[in-house]
Amino acid sequence: MNLAKRIYTWVDVRIGAGALVEKELTGYLLPTNINVWYSMGSILLFIFAMQVVTGMLLLIYYVPDADKAFKSVTFIMNEVPFGWLIRMCHAVGSNMMVLILLFHMLSVLFMGSYKSPREMNWLSGFILLNLVMGISLTGYLLPWSQLSFWATTVATNSVGAVPVVGPYLVEFLRGGKLVGPPTLGRFFALHVAVIPITIAALVGAHIFFLQRTGVSTPPFGLQETTNRWLGDRYRYESHPGGIPFFPHYALQDLTSIAVYCALFLGVVFFDPYIFFPATAFVPADPFQTPAHIKPEWYFLPNYQTLKLFPSEFLGIAVQGAAMTFLALLPFIDRGQEKHPLKRPLFLACAIGGIVLYIALMIWGHYS
Amino acid sequence: MNRTSPKVGNVPPPLRFALVLCFMLAFPLPGGAQETVCLQCHSAQTGPGSKAVKPWQASIHAENGISCHDCHGGDPKDAANAMSPARGFLGVPKETDVPAFCGRCHVGIRDDYLQSAHGRALGKGGPTCVTCHGAHDIKKVTLDLINEKSCSRCHPYERAANIKAAMEKTERLIVAIEERLARFKGEGVDTEATDKSLFALRNTYHRLFHEVNTARVTNESAKLQGELGKLDQTLQKIDEQRAKRKIAGAFVVAAALVAALLFHLLRKTCD
Repeated sequence: MNLAKRIYTWVDVRIGAGALVEKELTGYLLPTNINVWYSMGSILLFIFAMQVVTGMLLLIYYVPDADKAFKSVTFIMNEVPFGWLIRMCHAVGSNMMVLILLFHMLSVLFMGSYKSPREMNWLSGFILLNLVMGISLTGYLLPWSQLSFWATTVATNSVGAVPVVGPYLVEFLRGGKLVGPPTLGRFFALHVAVIPITIAALVGAHIFFLQRTGVSTPPFGLQETTNRWLGDRYRYESHPGGIPFFPHYALQDLTSIAVYCALFLGVVFFDPYIFFPATAFVPADPFQTPAHIKPEWYFLPNYQTLKLFPSEFLGIAVQGAAMTFLALLPFIDRGQEKHPLKRPLFLACAIGGIVLYIALMIWGHYS
Repeated sequence: MNRTSPKVGNVPPPLRFALVLCFMLAFPLPGGAQETVCLQCHSAQTGPGSKAVKPWQASIHAENGISCHDCHGGDPKDAANAMSPARGFLGVPKETDVPAFCGRCHVGIRDDYLQSAHGRALGKGGPTCVTCHGAHDIKKVTLDLINEKSCSRCHPYERAANIKAAMEKTERLIVAIEERLARFKGEGVDTEATDKSLFALRNTYHRLFHEVNTARVTNESAKLQGELGKLDQTLQKIDEQRAKRKIAGAFVVAAALVAALLFHLLRKTCD
């Protein structure tokens, strides 16, 4: 017996690695008709890890002080070796995380994977989407640029439309009447501690739910596409005769991650400025409002919706209702059919919703 | 009770925004300039008193927030005493006082002018600031100010043309560096040091505007062009560094795509 084999046996006897690998990797079977959309979750895990690593590296030089924040970011971009790369990876990565999360959510929607017994998977994923939006919003302020300052002013202002407690909420978020140094302190704490820890915990819960119920069978390429799980008792959705997670689907995950990396690095190296208007590189000036302040692309539909309604409250109420509907979708849509083409009402609503979302985004951009 | 307010309140926000926008476009107030009693009175006048308002509105002074009282004194907030000498009102300066009048702000330029042949002829038929720059429609200074039509009002254009030719290359270099710096700023490059150097060189260049000694202008322009060339090289290095980053980026992206292909092929072997 060679040395490597002996070490493996020694470890295996003590921790049961072989059984663990068999159960969770090589013996973990997935549906034979699994498709590339199932690797979105792995890409998201990879992005989250990248965000954590680049964020930690940025923390070495970033100073969360209103007088020093902008200069520290400029220093990172211009003086720190590969600082520009780390910062661009972090900033572009945050946009990509939202984009891939939306793709992940859409694939789950169209394949009916949110249906019983996966309500908790959907709900935890939906909360994760909101947390990712929150971490992006709080991170936006940290460079303390004109864009950061005024976009945060607009974003926090809209909370003021909530009846009765609105003005108090705005003051609580900002740490004062206006966006200022206390806001930076609050957003920094949320961005580097509170929200990442919550995201990590929820990612853990999301994966736990996935492990407990098993991977859903995609409705494509099958004759029978009905969801037979009634939710009356616990059942693990196994896939006898399916393909092993390792190495088969792990390689698909790696392929998807590599393709994502090519796209992501293409943006980082060739045109990261699609996510940075010129005001992103001008220090914050509370006395000079820039001519056109727009939120990030993923907040544009919300921004445009607020402008469409005669009162901000109505705009927020409509968005709140839409978000609540989406969060509770698995509890509302109890139909057993999973194939999108056999769900015409769902298909019409989903496509209509996507078109509306994109239209509002474009309108918000050009308005 | 105000009868009109409920109607206004019923106007949908996009329409309200459009109305406000139309109003602002129809009655623009130059950026930075305050709405003063001077402007209120003089805009409403029909005689010579109104003549200064429109040219000023289109001027570099208005653009930079320099209003009537900044030059002419007086109280811009009190209509009754706006033109009271007790409130510092100076009115229109005499011809020989014009350089001192403008030179309260443009100190260096005043000195340059007074030392030049133009300045030495002050009060003896020579030009004052307003002869070339105008009194109220003052534009951002460019070399176009030196032109045959303007200069030949007083003397042959030949010498002025030589001076202009010597300065044109400097102007082109400055404009090119400014454009490059603006691009870099929009990409997060720290341009502070280069900005400061360019600011100093631009000032030196502007001080040549009132020099009428052709030999001096030629020599100074050559020196300036040398300094601007150094700045240009600094910016060139940044451009080169960015080009290198893109080459590295191309390799990294290609490596990711190759990895994707290899993983895909490896996956195929598992089937």
